[in-house]
Amino acid sequence: MLKIDKLSKSFGGILATDNVSLELKPNSINALIGPNGAGKTTLFNLITGKIDIDEGQIFIDNTNITNLKESEITHLGIARAFQITNIFSTLSVQDSIKVALLAKQHGLNNMWNRFKAHSINKEAESIAKLSGLTKSYNTISSALSHGDQKLLDIALALALKPKVLLLDEPTAGMGPEERWKMIDRIQKLWKKTKMTVLFIEHDMDIVFDIAQNIYVLQQGAIIAEGTPKEIKSNKKVIKAYLGGGKK
Amino acid sequence: MNLLKKDNFQRDVFLGLLVWFMLIIFYYILPDPGIHDIIQKVFILGLFAMSLNILIGYLGLIAFGHAAFFASGAYTLGLFLQSDFVLNLAGFSIPVAIVLAVLVSSILATLIGVICIRLKDIYFSFLTLAFQMLIYSIILALVNITGGDQGLMGGFPKPPFLGIDLGKPFDFYAFTIFISIITIVLLRQLIESPFGYGLRMIRDNSERPAALGFNNQKHKLIAFIIAGSIAGLAGSLQALLDVGAYPEWAFWSKSAEPLFMILLGGMHSFLGPLMGALIFEILNDFVTANTRYYGLVLGLVILCFVLGLKKGLLDWLLIKLNRK
Amino acid sequence: MEIFALFDCIISPACLLSQATGGLKIGMLLFLVASGLTLVFGVLGVINFAHGALYMLGAYFSWQVMTLTGHFGLSVILGSLGVGIFGLLFERTLISRIYNAELLVQILLCYSVVLILDDLVMIIWGDEFLSSVGVPEVFQVPPLFIFDAIIPPFHLAIIGMSFIVGIILWFIMTKTRFGRLVRAAAVNPKMLEALGININFIRAGVFMLGSFLAGLGGALAASVGSVVSGMGNSIIIESFIVTVIGGMGSISGAFLASLIIGMARSFGAVAMPLFTDGLMFLIMVLVLVIRPQGLMGNKKK
Ligand SMILES: Nc1ncnc2c1ncn2[C@@H]1O[C@H](COP(=O)(O)OP(=O)(O)OP(=O)(O)O)[C@@H](O)[C@H]1O
Ligand SMILES: [Mg+2]
Repeated sequence: MLKIDKLSKSFGGILATDNVSLELKPNSINALIGPNGAGKTTLFNLITGKIDIDEGQIFIDNTNITNLKESEITHLGIARAFQITNIFSTLSVQDSIKVALLAKQHGLNNMWNRFKAHSINKEAESIAKLSGLTKSYNTISSALSHGDQKLLDIALALALKPKVLLLDEPTAGMGPEERWKMIDRIQKLWKKTKMTVLFIEHDMDIVFDIAQNIYVLQQGAIIAEGTPKEIKSNKKVIKAYLGGGKK
Repeated sequence: MNLLKKDNFQRDVFLGLLVWFMLIIFYYILPDPGIHDIIQKVFILGLFAMSLNILIGYLGLIAFGHAAFFASGAYTLGLFLQSDFVLNLAGFSIPVAIVLAVLVSSILATLIGVICIRLKDIYFSFLTLAFQMLIYSIILALVNITGGDQGLMGGFPKPPFLGIDLGKPFDFYAFTIFISIITIVLLRQLIESPFGYGLRMIRDNSERPAALGFNNQKHKLIAFIIAGSIAGLAGSLQALLDVGAYPEWAFWSKSAEPLFMILLGGMHSFLGPLMGALIFEILNDFVTANTRYYGLVLGLVILCFVLGLKKGLLDWLLIKLNRK
Repeated sequence: MEIFALFDCIISPACLLSQATGGLKIGMLLFLVASGLTLVFGVLGVINFAHGALYMLGAYFSWQVMTLTGHFGLSVILGSLGVGIFGLLFERTLISRIYNAELLVQILLCYSVVLILDDLVMIIWGDEFLSSVGVPEVFQVPPLFIFDAIIPPFHLAIIGMSFIVGIILWFIMTKTRFGRLVRAAAVNPKMLEALGININFIRAGVFMLGSFLAGLGGALAASVGSVVSGMGNSIIIESFIVTVIGGMGSISGAFLASLIIGMARSFGAVAMPLFTDGLMFLIMVLVLVIRPQGLMGNKKK
């Protein structure tokens, strides 16, 4: 589905992504883990074309997307949610989802219809339902709770009907209970939509619970990959990551 | 009335025509040329301010050179109405001159916009300012054509068209307000369309749209061109009113005027800038009748709005009304 | 455009020298004013649209002192100090309220002060042009003739004085504790607060210094030209040009840009007399397009 081949990126001498290769299977759910500053977000930025690639190539469904623009890559089926919520503060949940839907369909050039009466309303409602935002459907984004803002961020990505969904710490800043709710939702989403999901997460219990496949990143390089079982018993990982005082 | 309930284009057209009609009746009820003059100016300047508010209020770009387009509209109209080419069209000369004025302003806005929208924040503001002052300098330098610092010399004829004679006060009043209202109704459509929500999206967050597969730059450019064209239209109407065009219309302080109007009326309500134009004109009329120190009073009023109310009057009123 | 006139000027030592000194004078006066603007922006993050009005105040103040005392040096010193104190009050009462405000709010607040001051000086000093303070007696000597170029000694004095002020400014910013704090405040105000340094004190001080520089420029301008309400409205735009070209917040950039603009004005007047202003704006456009952060500015991340 998504294939990354020998990807590298450095910021002024610091290697943030170091010769990374990986391949995500269709309809799989995968986790990307690693300590702070390991280069996880950077990898997402490279995949989505948000920052330029130094070396290596990226393919989606065998289409080479290396060096395409961020918006072009989005149209080819990669969508992401952000670590730091990245939403439209003055728009309501409904309007935010609608602009995302329209952006994908090139519908925002339309000057002759009324946005409020646009036929896309039904679709927006279903996305909101899918993301669990029905209750706050008419709330202004900036007035949402942190958790709902995170959900909205994901909903914006879902509106693009992506083949590959990248989630950057969807549970960041949440309490344990809220965390599991979010994870539950993501798991359901994944089952329903048949997307390929890659998510970044710091909570190991969550990762081992829902990921089929785990990639461990350290100082920009993938030091291990495999099923939860394999990762749990991987010596390198234990030493570099799990061994660091974790329970 | 069913027509009034829904927020749609038909309703706006209906309301627009209704307001126009009422202002026509008002003309006869209150035959005071001074008041008529204020009303038509409010619409002309209101158009100018509303066009700027596309950029400021809906797109979040502080354009500081918007008067460039106002002036280009005014000068284009004046120059064409002085030319044989347009005057030979007799009954069509004024409509053609207005269309050409808008067209030239839109071309200018395209050229300037392509370059400016690449910059952000204060850099965008400064670049628009620089372009405007460049145009101001060009107007001053091309003495043979523009009359330099004296303004467009010798006036121009206003041949009647479709039975409208803009030389007559009533005709001018009705015509100007009609054109303005039509433009405002169209602008409302634009702002409430998916395109308009695209503007709000960019204003709120200019980084996310690319991750939604959206091209900000193209959207911004189109908005910039539309804003410039409407400013050009306002300028051409102002030139028709004054039968001339002046370089001060391209000076930076002219770009500050619509900013004041936006501040006074409110940038977050559609008609805010129009209301701002009304406050601005009434203030202007009232203060200049009583004191020479207009700037002092205007300055104090602006200070009160900036530090006191912190938002435009219409924004403030709408918030109050919504709370109830 | 008279390219040949420019060419003729450049090959004639007399014309070249007198235009160059003229350009230097314009540039250095501009530097005085623009350095204050760029300093205030760099540290406070405020685009002080009222900077030109402070310049005007400097001219009026020094005119007043000159009329009362007849002492040139005193008029320049008291005039610019007066503006510095005025700036301090301005900062404490108004500017301090808008440090974190949107750009539009900053512009409008400052511009309202311009409108108010432009009228206030008319109320106090009348709306007629006040004739220039005049060149002090020491300099009322015949102009120098160097290679047949006519060079008024007073212009040289202005250039020299501005140069000295520039050096003092450089010294303050790089060699004193205050300067170090100011530079730190520009980069990381929170850090300074954490160190227990009163950031408001620094901001007020910087604004006062910026105002003083505007006032000094105005006071010197009053000795070579007439004093009138609204006289700040073109210098503010020129200062913006300099600030942008040099890089916003960069004093050395402002110095370089002032020289460029001074020369462009001086030689532009020979080559294209009707388009001298246009030339400045053209340079500004080019810099913003090619290098938005300015000649000496840092590229923001
Ligand atoms: N735009 C950039 N410019 C310079 N350095 C950057 C940039 N983006 C990231 N870095 C650096 O690259 C490294 C990896 O950062 P990244 O944000 O990818 O880490 P992360 O794994 O997502 O960490 P976290 O768990 O804290 O989110 C860090 O050292 C960071 O400082
Ligand atoms: Mg990260």
